[in-house]
Amino acid sequence: MKKLLGVALGILTAIGGFVDIGDLVTNAVVGSRFGLSLVWVVLVGVVGICLFASMSGRVAAVSGRATFEIVRERLGPRAAGANLAASFAINLLTLTAEVGGIALALHLASSVEPRLWIPVAALAVWLVLWRVKFDVMENVAGLMGLLLVGFAVALFLLGPDWGELVRQAVPPSPPATEHVATYWYYAVALFGAAMTPYEVFFFSSGAVEEGWTAKDLAQNRVNVLVGFPLGGLLSVAIAACAAVVLLPAGIEVSSLSQIVLPVAQAGGTLLLAVVIVGIVAATFGAALETALSSGYTLAQYLGWSWGKFRRPARAARFHLSMIVALLLAVGILMTSVDPIQVTEMSVVFSAVALPLTYVPILLVANDPEYMGEHVNGRVVNALGTVYLVVVCVAAVAAIPLMIATGAGS
Amino acid sequence: MRVVTGAVTVVVLAGACAVPSRQQPGQATAAVRDALSEASSAAETTRLAVELLDEGRVTTPVADAAILDQVRVLEEASTALTTLVPPDDTSSAQRAAGLEAVGGVTVEVVAARAWVARAAGGDLTDAGDVPASGDEALARLDAATTDLDAVLALAGGA
Repeated sequence: MKKLLGVALGILTAIGGFVDIGDLVTNAVVGSRFGLSLVWVVLVGVVGICLFASMSGRVAAVSGRATFEIVRERLGPRAAGANLAASFAINLLTLTAEVGGIALALHLASSVEPRLWIPVAALAVWLVLWRVKFDVMENVAGLMGLLLVGFAVALFLLGPDWGELVRQAVPPSPPATEHVATYWYYAVALFGAAMTPYEVFFFSSGAVEEGWTAKDLAQNRVNVLVGFPLGGLLSVAIAACAAVVLLPAGIEVSSLSQIVLPVAQAGGTLLLAVVIVGIVAATFGAALETALSSGYTLAQYLGWSWGKFRRPARAARFHLSMIVALLLAVGILMTSVDPIQVTEMSVVFSAVALPLTYVPILLVANDPEYMGEHVNGRVVNALGTVYLVVVCVAAVAAIPLMIATGAGS
Repeated sequence: MRVVTGAVTVVVLAGACAVPSRQQPGQATAAVRDALSEASSAAETTRLAVELLDEGRVTTPVADAAILDQVRVLEEASTALTTLVPPDDTSSAQRAAGLEAVGGVTVEVVAARAWVARAAGGDLTDAGDVPASGDEALARLDAATTDLDAVLALAGGA
C-alpha cells in the first residue's frame, strides 16, 4: 500500500511539475495564433522528455552520477566547461523567466506591481531552498501545480466545437494568416518548452538526492511515462483554451493576464482563483528546480560538495551558487525587462542548448562500463537516435528562424 | 592586413544591421498592418476583460492587469507607427489614419480601465471621462474599434 501511494504521489508530482512559465506562455501564444495546428509538437516534446528523463534517471540511479558529472567525465574539462557556460546561461534565463512568472501571477492575485513581487518571490525561493527538505519541496510544489488542471476544466466548460479543434490539429498546417517560417519558429519554441534542459539536470540530480538505485528504476519509469504525458495534456488544454476564446476574437497573447481570461469566461472567479494559485505553484516549483539546477551544474562540474541532503554549511559553494543565480535573476528582472519576452527567449535557447546535455546522456546510457546490464535496449536506442536528429535540427534551426521571423512577430 | 579585414567586416556587419531610413511601399503597408493588428488585439482583450468583469466572472485585479497590459501594447503600436518613414503618399495616408485610429482606441481602453477602477470602489465620478457602466465602456470601445478595423482593412488586414 505504501509503495502504491509512493507511485501515485510520484505520478501526481510529475503531472503538476510538468508545466512551467515556458509551457504556459508558449502554449497560450501558439493557441491564440495557430489554434491546435502545432499540437503535434507537444506530442513530440512529451515523448522526447519522457525518453530523456528516463535515460538520465536510469543513468543516475545505476551509476550514482548526475548529468554534469557525466558531461565532464565524457567530454573532458575544456569541452565540458564550454558546455557548462552555455547550460548555465540558459538555465539562468529560465530561472529569470520563472521568478518573473511568480511575480506576474502574484500581480494578478493582488494588483501589486510585479516589480515589487520580484524580490519577495526570489527571497521565498531561497528560503525554501535553504530550509525545506528535498522531498517535501518537490511534492508540495508538484501537487499544488496540479491546480492547473483548471485549464482542462475550463476547456470542457467552454463547450467548444471539438470537431473544429480536431480539424485545426489534423492535418497539421499553418493558418493562412501566418507565415510558414513563423509556424516553424513556434514549433521549435514549443519543443524547447517541453524539453527544457533544467528538467533533466533536476531529474538526474534529484535521483542522486533521493538515493535511487537500480531497484527504483521501475517506479522512475512509471512516474515519467504516466506523469509527463498527463502533464502534456495540461499544455494542450492551455493551448486549446486560447484557441477557443482568444483566436476567434483576434487576440494575440502577449501577457499572462490574457492567458487566464478564457478560464474566467468558462468558470468564473472561483476557477480563475484556482488557476492563479496553480500558476504561482507551477512557476514557484520551476524556480526551485532551476535555482537548484544552477547549483547542481556548477558544483558537479567543479567537483564541489552538493545536494540538499547535506546541511548548507557542508555544501556552502553549492548554496552560494544558487543565491548568486537568484540575485542575477532579480537583477535582470529589475531592469524592467518583460518577463514574458524573457520566457519566449528562454524556450528558444533551451532548444539551442538541448544537444549539449542530450548527447552525453545518450552516449553514457549505451556505455556498459557505466550502466552494466542497464544499457539502452534496441527500441530506446532507435528512439534515442531519432530524437538525436530532432534535437540537433531544432538546435540548428532555432536562431536562424528567430532572426528570419523577428522572434515570431 | 588582418586589422583592415576586421574593420571591413565590422563595417559590413554594422551596415547590415542598420535600420533603413526609407522602406518600400509594400513594407510600409505591412508595418502599418502589423501595428494595427496589435492595436486590434489590445481592443479585443479589453472588450473581453470588461465583459467578464461586468458579468462578475473575473476579479478586478485580473481585469485591471489585462487592460494595463493592453495600454502597453497600444503604446508599442503607436511607436511603430510614429517611427515609420512612409515612402509614398498611400502609406503616408495609411499611417496617418492608423495613428488616429490607434489614438482613439487608446483613449477608450484608458477609459475602460477607469471604469474598472470605479467598479472596484474607486472615487471616480461621471464628471471625468469615465463610462457610467460596463455597457457604455463596451459601446465606446466598439465605436473606436470600428474605425480601427476600417483602417486595418485599407492596409490589407482582416
